[in-house]
Amino acid sequence: MAARGRKPKGRSAFSGLSVIASAVLLFMVALPTFITLTVGLLPSLVAFIFDRSPGRMMARCVFGLNFSGVAPYILELWQDGAQTVGGATQQIFQPLALSIMYGAAGLGWLLYLAMPPIVANVLNLSAQRRVTELRKNQRGLIKTWGDSLIKEVDRSG
Amino acid sequence: MNIGTMAEQAEDQKQDVSNDAGQKPEMDKPGGGAPVDETADANANREEEISTGGKNLEIGNFRVFTDLRLPEFDMGHCKAYAADNLRRSEGNAFALVTDPVLPTRYDLIKFLSGVHMAGQIDLLDSAIAHWPIFGRKTMVLFFEKPKGGHVIVSSGKQRSINEQDIAASVVEPLMNVLQALGEKGLTHRAVRATNLFFGDPEGGKVILGDCASGPPGYDQPLVYETTARMAADPAGRGVGTLSDDLYALGMTLAELAIGRRPLASMTDQEIMDIKLSKGSFQAIASQEKLPLIMIEPVRGLLCDDPEERWGFAELHAWLDGRRTKPVQGNTEKRAARSQNISGKDYYTVRALAQGVAKNWVNALTPLRDGTVEIWLRRGLGDNDRAKAMADAMRQLQWAGADKRSAEEVLVARSILILDPSGPVRYKGFSAMVDGFGNMLSYDVQHGSGPQRFSDVIVRDIPAFWFGRQEGYSPEVQRLQSAYKNLRYYIQQKSAGYGYERCLYSMVRNQHCLSPMIEQEYVVDIAQLLPALEKAAENVSDDAWPVDRHIAAFIATRLEDDVEGQLMAMQNPSDEVEYSRAIISMLAVVQWRHGPDNLQNLSHWVARLMEPAVKVFHSKARRERVETEIPKLAKRGNLVELYNLINDEQERRKDQSEFVEAVAEYSEAESEVFDLESSGPARLEMAEKVGQQAAAFASTMIALLTVSALFLMHIF
Repeated sequence: MAARGRKPKGRSAFSGLSVIASAVLLFMVALPTFITLTVGLLPSLVAFIFDRSPGRMMARCVFGLNFSGVAPYILELWQDGAQTVGGATQQIFQPLALSIMYGAAGLGWLLYLAMPPIVANVLNLSAQRRVTELRKNQRGLIKTWGDSLIKEVDRSG
Repeated sequence: MNIGTMAEQAEDQKQDVSNDAGQKPEMDKPGGGAPVDETADANANREEEISTGGKNLEIGNFRVFTDLRLPEFDMGHCKAYAADNLRRSEGNAFALVTDPVLPTRYDLIKFLSGVHMAGQIDLLDSAIAHWPIFGRKTMVLFFEKPKGGHVIVSSGKQRSINEQDIAASVVEPLMNVLQALGEKGLTHRAVRATNLFFGDPEGGKVILGDCASGPPGYDQPLVYETTARMAADPAGRGVGTLSDDLYALGMTLAELAIGRRPLASMTDQEIMDIKLSKGSFQAIASQEKLPLIMIEPVRGLLCDDPEERWGFAELHAWLDGRRTKPVQGNTEKRAARSQNISGKDYYTVRALAQGVAKNWVNALTPLRDGTVEIWLRRGLGDNDRAKAMADAMRQLQWAGADKRSAEEVLVARSILILDPSGPVRYKGFSAMVDGFGNMLSYDVQHGSGPQRFSDVIVRDIPAFWFGRQEGYSPEVQRLQSAYKNLRYYIQQKSAGYGYERCLYSMVRNQHCLSPMIEQEYVVDIAQLLPALEKAAENVSDDAWPVDRHIAAFIATRLEDDVEGQLMAMQNPSDEVEYSRAIISMLAVVQWRHGPDNLQNLSHWVARLMEPAVKVFHSKARRERVETEIPKLAKRGNLVELYNLINDEQERRKDQSEFVEAVAEYSEAESEVFDLESSGPARLEMAEKVGQQAAAFASTMIALLTVSALFLMHIF
């Protein structure tokens, strides 16, 4: 049990270390890309820091869409042969770019908020439909077997 | 014989009786046929008005003239009527109408019907028919008229039979009858002088009259009964043995020799007292003057010890003129001093037994305080009986709370200790063990009810009687095994058992006493459904066609085992099983014995099938059955009606489908409950699933975006 308890913690620590290691490597190898990612994925970073729920679903939601918003700029940066810190800074601090990146992160957060009520409604509707169907079947059985069915059900508890 | 001949004959009879005045009908209603003093009432018989009004009815092969009495052929308690044989022109027949509230003797009717036996009146046929005088059905026996008329004529006097001729004219033919019956294990039990007819007009050989119209020994005057059986009630005297018939033969010879009934001036109690105190032969010899030639056979046949009593060998020897061994007149041991019960002194055990039975309440004290035991030991020197008495008293001490009942059992057992070959006597009930059936029948049909019989069986008195019998006797063994069944029947309270079952199992010719069909005199199972068919015309809607009597009657008479149906009838509150059991029983009877068409009964049964239809759970099946019932009822076939509700394959299918339906309904109910009660859990799940779905969707969008960008870059 203790081993099983420690396992996720270890994996999480490993995952955190690998992210930091990747970030350090990226910082050393491709600083413009690192700057773009760091600035662009700032909402995800905040979400990962503050979301302490199991599985960090909210952080994942925010990160997925946030990354979708950052990915075009990273690609654009990579298409530019110089890949300078200045180019990266200039690109990243454009209002439109920031809006797209952070807007996408916001959409991720909205998705996280909107999805549970939608699922709840779907489940409720499905349950109601099932209840209606079962009641209809029961009425059919009573029609076929009469009151003796109810008596037998009551008798057998 | 045609009707004209009958009229002529009736006219002759009218002339014969023209001097008699008044009339005194003896059995003009059921139950009127109590044992009669035939000689005393013979005048009355002759005085009956004889009409030739021509009222007649056809019964089987005979035409019976209901207003044409033949008093000279009355036998025992039964009346004779003129009858024509429609099949045969020669011969003279007459009809003997039996009392419907007394059972006839099945085995004798079966054996004697259509058989000519020298020395016995010819029983031509028997039939059950509506007798207008009774207003109900009864058994009618048809006999060939004896050519010579009664030996004892109606005035009570005897037509002369020479003393020298008695051997050839009386003993030989009667021996022949008793021998023939004995070979079949039957007894006559109606051997008496008043039941003798001359076989020819010249007054030659005699023939014995009817013996099948009532319980064995029922019509016998008390003096004709052995000391063992005379204490029993007339209906409970029992089938007896050949030895009892030989005793009656001895008394018949005495009556014929004396010219009147022996001890006729005495009351029954006096006859019993004198026979017990002196022995049968001495009692007759001391009061009557027997011709010298008759002393030897009468002494031999009236010997009170059945082992010593003359049999056929001794009679043959006497007929051949050889001397036989002398028998002791009285084998009963007489005590040196008396035992007093209620102011009367008794010197023999048999007399004391009778005294105890007659003084049921007062006899308890001398029995309980050991006076009788001391009398047996010291007065009579009978240590065996004294020991048995002491044992019986010891058992009284072990009795529980029901002291009174234990005291009554003590009295009954004491009687059996004193007189082990006598009848079982219990608080007024007095019947031989082989006469229980007829006694019960008499009690039930004459207002005494079955309680006395039930008490005797419940208190297990007959078991004590069996225990007191000495030596091995196949007859006692047979009675004992039959008795075990009786106890079982009495102990069961449900329909098909009880005293009714005892009655029908013991008395083969007992007609069914169900109030619905009693008037129809149903003796055979084949008559049952036609009688019910008739009853169904005027039956109330809520009455069941099978009551306790009919259930017991079917259980006894039907060849098939109906214990299953009787078990189902144990619980009348379970209407489905109860009605199914009843319909099943009736259907089995119809299947076995017909008739094919019983419309009224079918409609009656159909009305009562409502609960039985509930055997099906499916509404569609029930509706189908309910639609079918009236159609089948119209066809009058109970078997089809029963099959309709007892289609085993259909029932099994219905049952298994019903079980499945119940399971399906229960599962649905439980699922609905789960769905309706799982709202918060569902919200929690929706939260979780929604978040997971959002995360998944977000991840997928990211992957798609990156993939699309890469593809755009490449192409």
